[in-house]
Amino acid sequence: MTIKLNIIELPKSDYQGGPSSLCPGCGHDQISSVIINAAWENGIAPENIAKMSGIGCSSKTPAYFLGKSHGFNTLHGRMPSVTTGANVTNKDMQFIAVSGDGDTASIGIGQFVHAIRRNLNMVYIIENNGVYGLTKGQYSATVEVGSAKRKAEPNEQVPIDLCAMAINLGCTFVARSFSGAKKQLTSLIRAAMSHRGTAVIDVISPCVTFANNDEFFRSYGYVKDNDMELHAYDYIPHFTPLEEVEIPEGEFQDISLFDGSTLRLETVESGHDTSDAVAALSQIHRAEQEKRHVTGLLYYNPGPKTLDEWLELSETPLADLSEEQMRPSEADLAALLAEFRE
Amino acid sequence: MSVINENRLEPASKASRLACVAEGSEGEVTVRRTARGIRGKTPMEKVVNDFTFNIATANGTGSQSANLILLHSMFEMGLPVSGKNLFPSNISGLPTWYIVRVSEAGYQAPGDRTHIQVLMNKATWAKDLAALEPGSVVIYNTNVKLPVERDDIIAYPVPMTKIARSLHPKLARMIANIIYVGAIAELVGIDQAVLEKAIAKQFKGKQSAIEMNITAVNLAREYVAENIEKSDPYCLEAREKDPNTFLVEGNEATALGSIFGGVTMLSWYPITPSSSVAEEIIDYIPQLRTDSDGKVTCAVIQAEDELAAAGMVVGAGWAGGRSMTCTSGPGISLMSEFIGLSYFAEVPGVIWDINRVGPSTGLPTRTQQGDVSLLYEAGHGDTKHIVLFPGTVEECFEFGWRAFDYAEHYQTMVFGFSDLDLGMNFWVCDGFDYPEKMDRGKVLHTQEELDAIENYGRYRDVDGDGICYRTLPGSGLKPILTRGTGRDEDGVYSEDPATYVATMERLKNKIEGSRTALPQPVLREEAEQEVGIIYFGSMENTIQEIDDQLESTGRKVSQCRVRALPLSPVVEEFVQNHETIIVLEVNRDGQMYGILRKELPIDLVPRVHSVAFSDGIPPRARVYSDMILEKLEEVGA
Repeated sequence: MTIKLNIIELPKSDYQGGPSSLCPGCGHDQISSVIINAAWENGIAPENIAKMSGIGCSSKTPAYFLGKSHGFNTLHGRMPSVTTGANVTNKDMQFIAVSGDGDTASIGIGQFVHAIRRNLNMVYIIENNGVYGLTKGQYSATVEVGSAKRKAEPNEQVPIDLCAMAINLGCTFVARSFSGAKKQLTSLIRAAMSHRGTAVIDVISPCVTFANNDEFFRSYGYVKDNDMELHAYDYIPHFTPLEEVEIPEGEFQDISLFDGSTLRLETVESGHDTSDAVAALSQIHRAEQEKRHVTGLLYYNPGPKTLDEWLELSETPLADLSEEQMRPSEADLAALLAEFRE
Repeated sequence: MSVINENRLEPASKASRLACVAEGSEGEVTVRRTARGIRGKTPMEKVVNDFTFNIATANGTGSQSANLILLHSMFEMGLPVSGKNLFPSNISGLPTWYIVRVSEAGYQAPGDRTHIQVLMNKATWAKDLAALEPGSVVIYNTNVKLPVERDDIIAYPVPMTKIARSLHPKLARMIANIIYVGAIAELVGIDQAVLEKAIAKQFKGKQSAIEMNITAVNLAREYVAENIEKSDPYCLEAREKDPNTFLVEGNEATALGSIFGGVTMLSWYPITPSSSVAEEIIDYIPQLRTDSDGKVTCAVIQAEDELAAAGMVVGAGWAGGRSMTCTSGPGISLMSEFIGLSYFAEVPGVIWDINRVGPSTGLPTRTQQGDVSLLYEAGHGDTKHIVLFPGTVEECFEFGWRAFDYAEHYQTMVFGFSDLDLGMNFWVCDGFDYPEKMDRGKVLHTQEELDAIENYGRYRDVDGDGICYRTLPGSGLKPILTRGTGRDEDGVYSEDPATYVATMERLKNKIEGSRTALPQPVLREEAEQEVGIIYFGSMENTIQEIDDQLESTGRKVSQCRVRALPLSPVVEEFVQNHETIIVLEVNRDGQMYGILRKELPIDLVPRVHSVAFSDGIPPRARVYSDMILEKLEEVGA
C-alpha cells in the first residue's frame, strides 16, 4: 500500500497530534481533524506553523493536531498578545490559533479586538459552543437570548456576535462555520491559511456534555436545522492550475487569495457579496432575528497592511538576526557619546 | 526702605554684572532697598557653590525648559549639580517644584533646606514662603500680586510677567519662566555664554525660540542689574568641567542600554514614569536599529494594556527574540499572571519597572522603592525572579543590556528596577561602556546539536544547572506545546506529584544559581565594622551625604549596595562582618529587609534592622540619617 503524500511529500501522519482528552463526540475534535486535513492538503511545512491557544476546552486542542509544529498554550484570554509578540519575531511563520467563546468573548475580548485592529497575520479559530465546558457548563457571552442549556433557565442577556464585531473592526477575513459541516469548514480554514491578515473563523462547535439539547441554539440538532449557508465553497490551491479545475454548472465567483490560491463561491443564491461589510452585518442580524445561524465567508478584504508590514520589519525574521545585526557598533556608541558631550 | 519702581523697564545702559558682589565687600554688604526687612549692615560670609534652589511654578507653563536651562548652565560651569522635578499628575495648572542643588561635595540628593526660593505660583505662594528658614532668599514674580510678608528673609521682586509681556504679549506666561532664569543668572553669577549654550541645547535648532529666550534672559539680567542690589551670600564660581561628563536621564540610559542589548521587540503601555524609556527607544531606532533599506530590527508595539504588553514579551521571547516592556507598579500588578507563566514555562523576557508611589494609583508622579517584594515573587504559586537594581545612569545602561543576557541564560523573566527619581531626573554621567559579547543561552539550532544530547527533552536538565536546552518555533526541532500547566521533562502535560516536585526544585535551583552570576554588591567597608548599611537603587545618590552625616557623629559606617536579587552570598558575609546592620530603603515596610530576614541564617537575623521611609520626595539625607541614628540608639548599637 502506498502512503498518500501531499505537495511537499509528507504523509498526513506528519500533521497529526496526540490523543484527545475531550469528551467523546466533542465538536472541537472534529475541528482538530479539519485543521490537520487543511494544513496537510495546503502543503504547509509543519515546522513553519505555530499553534497558539488560550485556556479552555478548545485551547487544549493544539495538543491534538500538528504534533511536529511548535505551539503555545498560553493564558486565559491572552492568546492574541502572545501571538503578536511571536508574529513580529518570526513573521514568516503561519500562525494557527484556537480559542473558545469564553476565552475570546469574555476574558479575552480586549485582545481579540486589538489583534484585529493590528491585522495580525494569523488564522483565529473560535470554537464557539455557548458554554464554559471546563468549569462545567456555565453560559458564555455568545449564547443567544432564549437559548437554554439542559435543565436550566433560558439565557436573557444579549449575546456578543464575534463575527459582527470583527467586521465592524475591519477584520480582513471573517467567516462563520459549524463543526458538523466538514466540507465547508475545510474550505474556509484552507482559505484562511492562504490569507494574509487576521482571518477570524467563528465555528459553532456543540458541547455534547453540557449543552446539546434541542432548546440550545448551538446543539447539533438545532444548528443542522437552522443553518443558512451563504455559498458552497471549493478551495483551489495555488499549486493546482485553475484551468484544470472543472467549471461548476451554476453561477460562481472566484476569490484570489494572497498565496495564489482561489476560493470558489458556488450556488450564490444568497447573493451575498463578501466585499460588502454592510451586507455581511445584515446577514448576521437577519439570522439572529430568525433564531438561525448564517454560515460561510461573510467578509473578505485583502487590502490592508498587516502588522509586520506597517512596522517595516527587516527581511530577516527578528529571531534570526545575528549579534551584529541586533547590536549597534562600538563606533555608533562612540558617536553617540560624542554627541552627548558636545 | 524704598520700594522699587515696577514700571521702570528701560534697559540699563551699563548692565553691571551683580554676581558675587559680596566678593568685594569684605564679608559685609549694605542692604538698601530690595532686601526687605533686613536693614542696615549685616555681616555676611560668601557661600560659594553650596546651596539649593527651589523653583515653584504651575505645571504646563513651560517652566521645565527654563529649569533645565538653569541646570545645564550650572553643569557647563563645571559645578556638581543635581535637579529634581517634583511634578503633579496633571498636564496644566497644578503646582510643580524644581529643586536645583549645587554641592561642592558632590551631593546629589535634594538638600535639607532651600536657600533660594523662586515664587511664580499663586497656589503655593504662602506655603512655600512660610516653609523658608530665616535668611533665605526669595526671588518672586511681582505680577502675581501676592505679598511677601516676612522680614527675616531677603526678597528680590522682579516683574517677570511684565518683562515677558514687553517681549511677546501672547507668550508672556511662558517667557516669564526664562525671566527668573535670567534673574538667577545675574544674582548668583552664571556666565552669559554658558547660559546661551544651554538655551541653544534646550531648543535644538529652533532659532526663533533660541533668540527670544536669549533676549528675555538679557532683559532679566538688565532689570536685576539696574534695580536690585544683591544682599545675599550665594554665589557660583566656575570649576573645571570634566569634558567626558554629560547629563542624562536614567530612562534614556536604560533605553540606550536596551538598544545596545539587542532588543528586537518592545511592547509598552504608557504609564508615568516609565513612558520615556519606550519613547527614547522609539526615538533612537532610526539612528541605531534601521537597515540601509529602511527596515527596522526592533518591533515596537503600543499595547492595549499591560497584560497584552507582557503577553507580547512572552510571545516574542518564546519565538527567539529579545523582548522587553517598561512599566510601573500598576502595570506589574496586571502583568503578574504572565510573569508566572514566563517563570514556569521558562520563557525569557525583560520588564523594566520604573517605580512610582503605590499602592494603587498612589502618587503617580512621585518616587518610591515600593515594588521590591512584588517583583521578587510576582505571580501566584512559588516563584522567584531576577531583579536588577541600577544605582546610577551608567548602570541603567549596563543593566539595560545585561538584562537580556540574564533572561536568555536563565530562560526567565528578568526585571530592571529603576524609579522616578533615577529615571526622570538628569544625572551626571561619565559615559557608557560597550557591552560584552551576547549570551543567548542554551538554544539548539541544528539537528546535530540536538542529536548530541542524549535523551533530549525540553525540560530535561542534562547539565545539572537547572537550565535546559530549548528549540525555537520555526526550527522543526523537537517541537512541544509550551504550556503553563504541569508538564514532564519532555514537555507533555502532567499532573504527576513527583514530576511537579522535580520541576519546582529544578526551577528553584536554576534561579539560586544566579546569585553569584548577577551584578555583585558594591562594598565600602570601614575597618571598625560596627555598623553596616545595606541599600540599593537610587539611594546610591544620597548615601554619601548620609554617611558623612553619620560620621560627623563619630560613627563609622560601612556600606553594601545590593545590585541584584536573588541576593549574592557577599551580602550574607557583609552581615556576618558587622555587629549591627541597617537596611535602608524608600518605602514604608522595609521590603528588602523582609527579604533579608527570610533568606539570612536565623542567627544573623537579630542584628538586622530596618530603616524605611517614603513620602514621594527623592530621599533627603537628613531624614534618613536621623532615622538611622534613632534606630541605632533604640537597638543599643
